[in-house]
Amino acid sequence: MTANEVVERIKKNLGIPWNDKTYRDTFKVGDPNTEVKGIATTFMATLDLIQRAHAAGMNFVITHEPTFWSDRDTVSELAHDPIYRFKMDFCSRHNLVVWRFHDHIHAHQPDLIWVGLARALGWQQTAGSRNRFTFPATTLAALAADVQRRMNIRALRVVGDPHAKVSSAAVGMGYSIPRVLPDVDVVIGGEQPETGGQFDDTEYVLDAAFFGKNKGQIILGHAISEEPGMQDCANWLRTFVTEVPIQFIRAGEPFWSPKA
Amino acid sequence: MELSRRRFARLAGTAALTGHHLRGQQAPLTAQQVIDRIQKGAGINPGAIKAGDPATQVTGIATAAMATMGVLSRAAKDKANLVITMEPAFFGRLDAALADDPVYAAKQEFIQKNGIVIWRFNDYWRNRQPDPLAMGLAQTLAWTKYRVADDYTRYDLPAMPLAALAGELAKRLSARAGIRAVGDPQTTVRRIGLLPGSSALAATMKKLPDCDVVIAGETREWESVEYAQDTVASGQKKGFIMLGRVLSEEPGMNFCTDWLKTLVPEVPVRWLPAGDPYWRPA
Repeated sequence: MTANEVVERIKKNLGIPWNDKTYRDTFKVGDPNTEVKGIATTFMATLDLIQRAHAAGMNFVITHEPTFWSDRDTVSELAHDPIYRFKMDFCSRHNLVVWRFHDHIHAHQPDLIWVGLARALGWQQTAGSRNRFTFPATTLAALAADVQRRMNIRALRVVGDPHAKVSSAAVGMGYSIPRVLPDVDVVIGGEQPETGGQFDDTEYVLDAAFFGKNKGQIILGHAISEEPGMQDCANWLRTFVTEVPIQFIRAGEPFWSPKA
Repeated sequence: MELSRRRFARLAGTAALTGHHLRGQQAPLTAQQVIDRIQKGAGINPGAIKAGDPATQVTGIATAAMATMGVLSRAAKDKANLVITMEPAFFGRLDAALADDPVYAAKQEFIQKNGIVIWRFNDYWRNRQPDPLAMGLAQTLAWTKYRVADDYTRYDLPAMPLAALAGELAKRLSARAGIRAVGDPQTTVRRIGLLPGSSALAATMKKLPDCDVVIAGETREWESVEYAQDTVASGQKKGFIMLGRVLSEEPGMNFCTDWLKTLVPEVPVRWLPAGDPYWRPA
């Protein structure tokens, strides 16, 4: 079975039409006609992840995020970059193939990345709105500690009064954190510009706390928020790709944080 | 939007008239006059006032990386009624459709009640050469003596583990949980590159090859962060640290006061830290 045949089978089992205009969900490395020995699904095809996938006997990496450090995986300017060459050399020496699965895994019903995040948080969502959660009133500090423990996060970041009483949250994935609203106490997501973005939740929550309002922002990290869904991706693939082993391999949280 | 633009023009006109009328007496210094002077000093086009009356008589100036309520309340106490901020003050809610928000309304009310004027000062300061954000950051870190030639973004420090460097940054910048690092904590680093503020992949790709560690303000996880991870995985003994946007820009806005004092000697000029916005559970 070739990498391309795996992708064709994904398209067939997706349940929605394939968008041929996608620049994201394409092959990034290697020959699509390569015979697949094993599939590794992951959040991001970092060099470290690719090396570990190879060590585990997998030669086809299905990654949610880019391989070459930009959304379009633009490599035209990278020919002389030593890190690009190192990564490409490793892949070609070991006959590895990388394909990105981003737009269509989000478009799949249900969005498997979302399924993974909700599972990792372990919360029951509010009926009727996908990204809203309500829970018995707790403090922002206790909620953040619970999230930190459940998702095993080293570099979690929280904004707001730790003692703020909170009972509702809106959750986003990846590069999106929902806007704080009157009926949303806490916003949670992967990554967001600290300021100058669409919502600027960080400053909003700082100011809300100044006025004694019970608001909070919990920033998980992009990898932390979307990696669980690539495990669901592996489980889903196994339902229609039975010829080769399929393994979810964590790219892992990139950060550690110094003791303050 | 149209109304506020007209109102702005009217107020700006009033400010100019008032200034002219009072010249020769004890001329009050209006916010508009201070801003005009900064714009002339910097050779830049007028930028919009984000809040307050441009005709306000300035009693003091406060600079900040971000005009949070914490900063504004300190400014009000200090009688610094012109706040010059690098980053926005209204979290995307200046748009009239979003103005119906209790936090936004309370902030506007505080500004009005305390006669504060907010002016954003970003493009020029961010692009000025030599880089004032890097100069300010190096000053705060007491690294000026380690500067490499006349490159204000490069410093060669005594060798230390990456973990010690990150700890030193946390201490000197009074960080809470905002600092995040990539790389082996035990890697020895000496050659340091500074990229305060928000930066693109190209900046990291340019800087990291000649440095052991790049200290950035804010980058994206699938861009510079992955590039740094891959650099480390390729066997290079390097590191990458993100301070956070505000934490990385604060020293540059502190440094900004030195420049403003030369342009506006009549009133006190001070820097007010917004502080590291982030914490994490113990």
